[in-house]
Amino acid sequence: MKRAEYKVPGGKLLVAETEVKDGVLTTVKVTGDFFMHPEEAINDLEEALNGRDASQIDEIVEGFFGGKEIALFGVSEKDFAHVLKLTLDS
Amino acid sequence: MTETWRLIDMRIEDAPTQMSIDEAIALARPKGETPNTVRLYRWNPSAVSVGYFQSVEKEVNLEACEEKGVDVIRRITGGGAVYHDYNGEITYSLVAPENDPRIPQDILASYELICGAIVRGLKELGVDCEFKPVNDIVAGDKKISGNAQTRRHGVVLQHGTVLVDSDLRTMFQVLRVSDAKISDKLIQAVEERVTNVRRYLGREVPFEEARDALVKGFEETFDVVLEPGELTEREEELVRELHGKYSSREWVFQR
Repeated sequence: MKRAEYKVPGGKLLVAETEVKDGVLTTVKVTGDFFMHPEEAINDLEEALNGRDASQIDEIVEGFFGGKEIALFGVSEKDFAHVLKLTLDS
Repeated sequence: MTETWRLIDMRIEDAPTQMSIDEAIALARPKGETPNTVRLYRWNPSAVSVGYFQSVEKEVNLEACEEKGVDVIRRITGGGAVYHDYNGEITYSLVAPENDPRIPQDILASYELICGAIVRGLKELGVDCEFKPVNDIVAGDKKISGNAQTRRHGVVLQHGTVLVDSDLRTMFQVLRVSDAKISDKLIQAVEERVTNVRRYLGREVPFEEARDALVKGFEETFDVVLEPGELTEREEELVRELHGKYSSREWVFQR
């Protein structure tokens, strides 16, 4: 399990944990003190990433939020992608 | 004529009950069975609440909680971990429809407005404080109130903590503070980031006095009268239904 933290400047803390096997995300968990409405969407985001190619985090995250009515507060879509990619370098 | 909102006044309950009551009021509100509601309450036993997205193990020192008899619960709202000290903290909650003309659609603006009620209340007590985006209230540069909001079923639920005389030492024994958060604020001693009303004013502040000031803060901010009331039968039923979720290990430890 690889882990990374990212404190959004002027915003909230994001913590990501990932496991990658053969370039594929096998575990994805994002925690932190941010706000997302509806809250349950975090599970959908994690599921959307699970089993996908770790090199495509940007596209997957962008695709996930696109067209959905998910409100973020204290973090942005790009911050999720950023902290997830940080785990790959850790 | 000034509108009347319901005030559920200083109920003392355990953590699962308090969180069930907030959610029950939010669930009942869209059906129009209940008016807008403000609650002021205290937690017995004292408890740590973590935000919806937080990891319990990462945020809470579970051994210290066990040792001190402090409950641990997960909120329905995001945000950070809070220590609700039975002897030193008042929690408030506000439930109103998202389309209430008083509630800004913009999330930050709505935090600022609702936190404004707490700021007014604290100023009434003599605490010079202000809203600090995104969701804090600070006195000087020290946090004195943290706030969290959710919006669902067309309803805004915001709850928050007001540190009246919280034991800050215990607070930092039961909470773990992440390195990233500390380094971001360039502060070494986390204790220096937080204060409470008693410490700020240098005198004892009884709960009744703090309660009266907060009620006034809400009434003036929203131009309403808060009338003490009780939960409806439907809400009490919802509280009983929700209690199982909030007290379950699956809910509390889901992240």
